[in-house]
Amino acid sequence: MPAPSAQPIRTTASIAFLILLSLLSSVWMIFTSPKPWHIEANSIAARSDKRFAAVKAHLPANGIIGYIGETCDAALPDYYLAQYALAPLVVDRSAHRAIVIGNFPDAPPSEISADLKLVQDFGNGVLLFAGKETK
Amino acid sequence: MAIALAAVICLTSGYLLINFALPDSKPSRSLQVMKLSLAAGFGLGISSIAFFLARMFGTRHFVVFDIAVLAAIYTLRYRARVHSSHTFAAKNAMDFEFPRWLVRVLIAAFVFAFMAACYGSTMRAIAHPHGDGWDAFAIWNLHARFLFLGGSHWRDGFNALIPWSHPDYPLLLPAATARFCSYAGINSPMVPAVLGLVFAFSTLSLLVSSLFQLRGPNAALLAGIALSSTPFFAEHGAAQYADVPLSFFILATIVLLHFGSHLEPIIQSRRLNRCWTLAGVAAGFAAWTKNEGLLFLTALLFAFCLFSITKRSKNSAGEFCKSKQGLLAPAVLGSIPILAVIAWFKHSVATSGDLWSTPEVMIHRILTPSRYGIILRWYAKEFLRFGGWWIFPGTVLLVAFYFLTRGKDLSEGDPLLRASVTALTLTLAGYFAIYLITPLDLYWHLRFSLNRLFLQLWPATIFLFFLSVGRRAPLNFSK
Repeated sequence: MPAPSAQPIRTTASIAFLILLSLLSSVWMIFTSPKPWHIEANSIAARSDKRFAAVKAHLPANGIIGYIGETCDAALPDYYLAQYALAPLVVDRSAHRAIVIGNFPDAPPSEISADLKLVQDFGNGVLLFAGKETK
Repeated sequence: MAIALAAVICLTSGYLLINFALPDSKPSRSLQVMKLSLAAGFGLGISSIAFFLARMFGTRHFVVFDIAVLAAIYTLRYRARVHSSHTFAAKNAMDFEFPRWLVRVLIAAFVFAFMAACYGSTMRAIAHPHGDGWDAFAIWNLHARFLFLGGSHWRDGFNALIPWSHPDYPLLLPAATARFCSYAGINSPMVPAVLGLVFAFSTLSLLVSSLFQLRGPNAALLAGIALSSTPFFAEHGAAQYADVPLSFFILATIVLLHFGSHLEPIIQSRRLNRCWTLAGVAAGFAAWTKNEGLLFLTALLFAFCLFSITKRSKNSAGEFCKSKQGLLAPAVLGSIPILAVIAWFKHSVATSGDLWSTPEVMIHRILTPSRYGIILRWYAKEFLRFGGWWIFPGTVLLVAFYFLTRGKDLSEGDPLLRASVTALTLTLAGYFAIYLITPLDLYWHLRFSLNRLFLQLWPATIFLFFLSVGRRAPLNFSK
């Protein structure tokens, strides 16, 4: 009888190896995915669309508005979320606009430029100011 | 109802365009799946261009543009049907030859891996309705909002005042999202979520069905298992980023180029190979999806310039192409209309990108040896950890598989295969060059983008891997 070829055994082993490790990875994917009985939608809508829904009614349909918020780097996402919520308005991170949005989700502002006049406080750290257009 | 109409127009236009190139007489089931997968991505690409043009011309009647584009493609398809037809000469005799029990194991493993990927992607899409990561809403969905809600002021969104939103990024995904929202009349986060899943599963089904056609079921199932089991692919499919859509168009380009070498025009007067024209369209859509797509298109053209000057060309079934048609001309012809739209966008709407500095600064960075070392280390590290695989990285697994199943290599003299590999390698080299000159912090840039760049090339890499491995001498278990 001819000796069995080593090639099919090696191929079977490598296929089995590939399948086994792939399936382990698939099982891992199932375990690390959000569970249907415990899905918590992330907070983007709450931090953007919902927070700015009230102030949107008092803003023009388009154009450029100013923005003030906390100045640290950690507050940058708040600015991005404000732009996301207020599109198609362009939100310029500057106080030198006729209309300026204040966004202070964590604490009220300690100091506001004298050029800005508070028009309305919408609560939840969202403020609307009238400013001086200098751009 | 309106959104169903949008989906039907989108899929129909994609399917008609695909039928322009791929034969439709008695198609096999896998060819039908392949055509539907391609139709989904192409349809989204076509409808995004139509919507963008409607915005550029300032008309609110985007439906008219949709129908005009559909009619144009139908006319093209009708004329093509009248004047010529193609026969498909795929050979799958070079597939792995497995015993029946192993084929059953393969099928079961593929079904499990596919279901796990479906589950993982869908759960993530539900948990992250606005996308999983900052780029989703700060770039892609924000641009979609400007296109949908901005009316005649949509250009405001591509303003130098918000450079962090990358106003130079192409608009395939945002325009496709805005088009569906316009049909629906509401700005729903469901739209980009569903589009992300459509691209992810079209990529997977295109990979499996094309390999089924070109190699056979066993190589196709193995490739399907490899991609479905890549956790990063499944996660990112639901992230609402543009990397998976780009990976779809890169894969579609490579697949169509290889299909082109199997098609034999019956009517010799038809000089242009339609599959290669369609490959050019796919490469154009890649460039319309992300700036990296432009890099891929350039790398592809360069690699295939080399291919086209090769005298004797074999197709990927190992046969010499009977027709001596050039590949570059039809591919370039296919990409030109989309490149024209991109040029228009870049010239009249987009601001300049943030990756360029003054020539002196860029030369200084290029001449800094430590940057090379850092980038090389990250490339090596990413190779070992790419994909988020559990226990063993998928990249290493494929390399191990290659050496363990090594038989007599029949792929010598296949310039198409080599040119495709060269194109992907050049794209990786292009990414390397971008990291060299980037004005951003190098570590930060590598950390937040390199895995996604690998992901863009991953499905095409798996396709070429199993195309190449499957074509080596059949491993006969009956010995």
